[in-house]
Amino acid sequence: MRKILLAATILATMTGQALAAETIKIGVILGFTGPIESLTPDMASSAELAMKEVSDSGALLGGKKLESIRADSTCVDSAAATAAAERLITADGVAAIMGADCSGVTGAIASNVAVGNGVVMVSPSATSPGLSQLKDKDLFFRTAPSDARQGQVIAAILKSRGVSEIAVTYTNNDYGKGLSDSFQSAFTAQGGKISMVAAHEDGKADYSAEVGALAASGAKILAVFGYIDQGGKGMIQASLDSGAFDKFVLADGMFGDALTDAFGNDLNGTIATVPGAESQGAKTFSDMAEKAGITVGGPFTGESYDAAALIALAMQAAGSSDRAAIQSKMMAVANAPGEKINPGELAKGLKILSSGGEIDYVGATNVEFNKIGEVFGSYKEMEIKNGKYELISVR
Amino acid sequence: MTNSLRPVLAFSIMAILFLLVGFMQSWSVALAIFNLCLISSIMTLGVNIQWGYAGLFNVGTMGFAALGGLAAVLVSKDPVPEAWSAGGLNLLFAVLVAIAAVSAIVLIFRRMSKGPGRALVLSPVIIIGYFLFRYFFDMATQDIEAVNPAVTGYLGGLGLPIILSWVVGGAFAAGAAWLIGKVVLGLRSDYLAIATLGIAEITIAIMKNEDWLARGVKNVAGLPRPVPYEVDLQEADWFISLIETLHSGTLSAFTGDDRVAQLATLVMQSSSIFVKLCYSGLFLAVLLIILTMSIKALNSPWGRMMRAIRDNETAASAMGKNVTKRHLQVFIIGSAVVGIAGTMLTTLDGQLTPGSYNPLRFTFLIWVMVIVGGSGNNLGSVLGGFLIWFVWIEAEPVGVWLIEVSTTWMVESNPVRLHLMESAQHMRLFTMGLVLLLVMRFNPGGILPEGIQKERR
Amino acid sequence: MTDILNALVLFSNFVLIPSLAYGSQLALGALGVTLIYSILRFANFAHADMMAFGTMVTVLGTWWLQSLGISLGPLPTALLALPFAILAAIGMSLLIDRSVYRFYRTKRSSPAIFVIASTGVMFLLNGIVRFIIGPNDQRFADGERFIIRAREFKTLTGLDEGLAIKVSQVLTVGIAVMLVIALFMFLQKTRMGKAMRAYSDNEDLALLSGINPERVVMITWIITAILATIAGTLYGLDKSFKPFTYFQLLLPFFAAAIVGGIGNPVGAIVGGFVIAFSEVMITYAYKKFFMYLLPQSMAPEGMMQLLSTDYKFAVSFIILVIVLLVKPTGLMKGKVV
Repeated sequence: MRKILLAATILATMTGQALAAETIKIGVILGFTGPIESLTPDMASSAELAMKEVSDSGALLGGKKLESIRADSTCVDSAAATAAAERLITADGVAAIMGADCSGVTGAIASNVAVGNGVVMVSPSATSPGLSQLKDKDLFFRTAPSDARQGQVIAAILKSRGVSEIAVTYTNNDYGKGLSDSFQSAFTAQGGKISMVAAHEDGKADYSAEVGALAASGAKILAVFGYIDQGGKGMIQASLDSGAFDKFVLADGMFGDALTDAFGNDLNGTIATVPGAESQGAKTFSDMAEKAGITVGGPFTGESYDAAALIALAMQAAGSSDRAAIQSKMMAVANAPGEKINPGELAKGLKILSSGGEIDYVGATNVEFNKIGEVFGSYKEMEIKNGKYELISVR
Repeated sequence: MTNSLRPVLAFSIMAILFLLVGFMQSWSVALAIFNLCLISSIMTLGVNIQWGYAGLFNVGTMGFAALGGLAAVLVSKDPVPEAWSAGGLNLLFAVLVAIAAVSAIVLIFRRMSKGPGRALVLSPVIIIGYFLFRYFFDMATQDIEAVNPAVTGYLGGLGLPIILSWVVGGAFAAGAAWLIGKVVLGLRSDYLAIATLGIAEITIAIMKNEDWLARGVKNVAGLPRPVPYEVDLQEADWFISLIETLHSGTLSAFTGDDRVAQLATLVMQSSSIFVKLCYSGLFLAVLLIILTMSIKALNSPWGRMMRAIRDNETAASAMGKNVTKRHLQVFIIGSAVVGIAGTMLTTLDGQLTPGSYNPLRFTFLIWVMVIVGGSGNNLGSVLGGFLIWFVWIEAEPVGVWLIEVSTTWMVESNPVRLHLMESAQHMRLFTMGLVLLLVMRFNPGGILPEGIQKERR
Repeated sequence: MTDILNALVLFSNFVLIPSLAYGSQLALGALGVTLIYSILRFANFAHADMMAFGTMVTVLGTWWLQSLGISLGPLPTALLALPFAILAAIGMSLLIDRSVYRFYRTKRSSPAIFVIASTGVMFLLNGIVRFIIGPNDQRFADGERFIIRAREFKTLTGLDEGLAIKVSQVLTVGIAVMLVIALFMFLQKTRMGKAMRAYSDNEDLALLSGINPERVVMITWIITAILATIAGTLYGLDKSFKPFTYFQLLLPFFAAAIVGGIGNPVGAIVGGFVIAFSEVMITYAYKKFFMYLLPQSMAPEGMMQLLSTDYKFAVSFIILVIVLLVKPTGLMKGKVV
């Protein structure tokens, strides 16, 4: 047994040696199949947009290129996701990982694969508050704010609009449940009343029982914390069909044109929150994204761009594509002091770094890491008027 | 080909497949697949005990595997004292009410004779019992789930080493199997199938929605491991010096800082392989124990009796064998084995995610393994577990590759080609169905058929 | 008085009408399961996926017709595409029977072998459907969506509660009733129907009296394919089409068939409605309903919900287990071998 063990170890380390190459591989691990498969292509393209910008600049570590290696996290199956990450890290030899997307698989990949191999992971969309407690050896970062924050933002918006009673439905997974928990505690703390909470399962065709029960609670507004191409839409459809609710409060997973396209004016008065800012950086990014054929305003695209950009900048700051080197500079490039860098200015950032200067990456989403590598996050408050989303304010 | 050569050949081919993955992808990937293959084999053995030995048609594998996973959490996580003090008392009341109500119902059922009188007494007991239970239970769960919901919000576990949970997981599954078996084993085979299918779904639903138990869909992450952590190994002196001696050849080419950096990389890579090998060792030990016991049992008088019951129930019961009792016994044993495998899987994942249990993956795939491997043959089950899991994992990359190769003559943006590329992962399901049907039709005994050949109808 | 009316409207809107439509869909599905069970004597695990296959063809046909600009006015275009889908489903069913089940039939294999073979077919169909149309939600309903909307009903009647009736709901119930009548006429009046019943009651006796078993089996597959496609299309029109959702319908179908008494067509219909009504009624919160009916002082405080909607689908199984324990033959006395 011991001999086999030794032999395998030797073989593995021999084949695992990465050759110093002109291209540096970055893993992009997102749920290309599964519950959020409609969002992930745009997220991946946004990350690759940043990589292309870096490669084209010719300034990265003396003219090296970045290559994106995509892998499927499936969003729900931890075993498949860890297998995919394993392949990226050990077989493809990626320098860092942009991903994963859903909180459950992100936790699994981080603790089972990334931490053990000392690989930096920057998630653009894992929002579960539980991930803050991850034993990550400072390898896990996220450019999307924790849901604990979003719950508070939604509660604050409702307070400012004088809403005192609401019914809540959430998609029955860690995202929905976590967000619903944080919203409930924030809303009740400010004196609001949650008249009823009912989970909905994604992928069921009939939601009339859930809607019926929620409507019976007497609330006039329904908060929907779900996915736009899953049960969340089904709940809204069933509510409108039966006349149970006609005003909704939507979280980031529900934001998208698919909803307004389907229901239009029926949704007038509905409020939505979506991570993002109305900054110069956000605007530049959306222009760039539009040119690249990425849906403008889709959730987590700016975060994805920022995640990939940060990895490249950290690499440059460290002067090496070594995994540990990247980790050592992540905080430095994201936070002050230094020159502010917006999307489209990555070449400028790379040059400052190579000449020994310091930068403070702002990016599409005003990135600023706290000491555990998470962003505070800003949210846009949107309202549907005349069947279209309109920006009300940024919080 | 003689019967004794067949398993040797089959397992050699399997070994070659792993070597191929090792050389072509990476050893880490090969070991990761190997570990899941081991777990699949154990699960397959469990189903084989039920179907191959006794002809019981259980399609509730998913539920037993999930119960095993629950055991991993309840045994290994630290208890949450705040949650116990917040809702423990009410939960205790709820349990007491439930016990009292159920015993009252049983008592009434036994003591009073059938008729409207019994129904009249029974219904208020049921209704009052239910609402009293819900009163305490709802209070308890609400209080427990309010304790720091982002991190805990559940009662926690016992804080014991996770390896103990492998036994407990088996016991959980056995207990559930006893309960289910009591209810449905008297019925004909299809009913058992449908009932177990439904009960498995209900098990998952309970695990998803009862947050006080194991955080429900919020998942329990960060389960302790039975093996060392990579990061600890990377700092352990003995491990570093081990790698240093192993790689003295490679390292001698470097000096100074380069050597240190090289060593650090080697240590990091080896640590991940080492951890996987530790898991493999543990899993292999469990597999060998269960396999040996299964083979012994199958060849014992008990095994002969089981096969006799399977092949002709009427004759067996005429010979004085208590068919229902034997069925219950074998149902419990098989489910326990599945439960153990489920616990091992959760241990390997390091987290319990009730939302990821899916009948196609955890029930029907296991069935394909049993049938393809050879029902009734323990070695066949092990082989089936290995082969099918291997195909399941590698079908996607191979499928993508096949489509890529077969459509090279098309333009990059050809819609047919794009559609095929996108759908590649669905080939998995199709392949599994096809493999199952082909094996059933042309090689009904599976790759390694049951040793004692019998005409199975 | 208006309070009572309000309560009734509320109940109809959230319990009665959805359950009626859902029950009809379940009944059609359970009929298919029960027919296969009574003639071929096994539980067909691939039935829900055959439904998905048929519906997929309907969806593709609908898109094609829409692209040609053909529509049925207020009715969904899918009804025009339905006949083609039925033909496709019949073809697929017969192909599967020839290539898979017939082999075991001539070998007289045990029911469990048939069931395992049907899970193989389930995998195959699952893969085919996803391969062709993908795993996503597809909406193919067009035409008018409502006969009456909740808001219109409120302004029309002046009541506080609204009542919405969808076109798809009326279509579902209407078509289901017609289909069931046609099926019973077939089973009772025609020669073939009588032969099928005879074959189901006693296979050997039927063979002796000169019934061609392969013909009976063929007709059975044709009928189940028709039922599956229509049930699937109606379900998809009422809700939406998604392969995994259809796969999950398998459980309620079996529950309905067994509760009603498997092998008994009347039982399948009764079972479908029992399951649908209990799912909705047990998980409905009656708070508002009682608020209308009871005086202010007696208004209930809780939600008056017997079981959380989280366990909605578990209801069908609890009923199933109870029926199995108390009356294993089902409510309408099916055949238990």
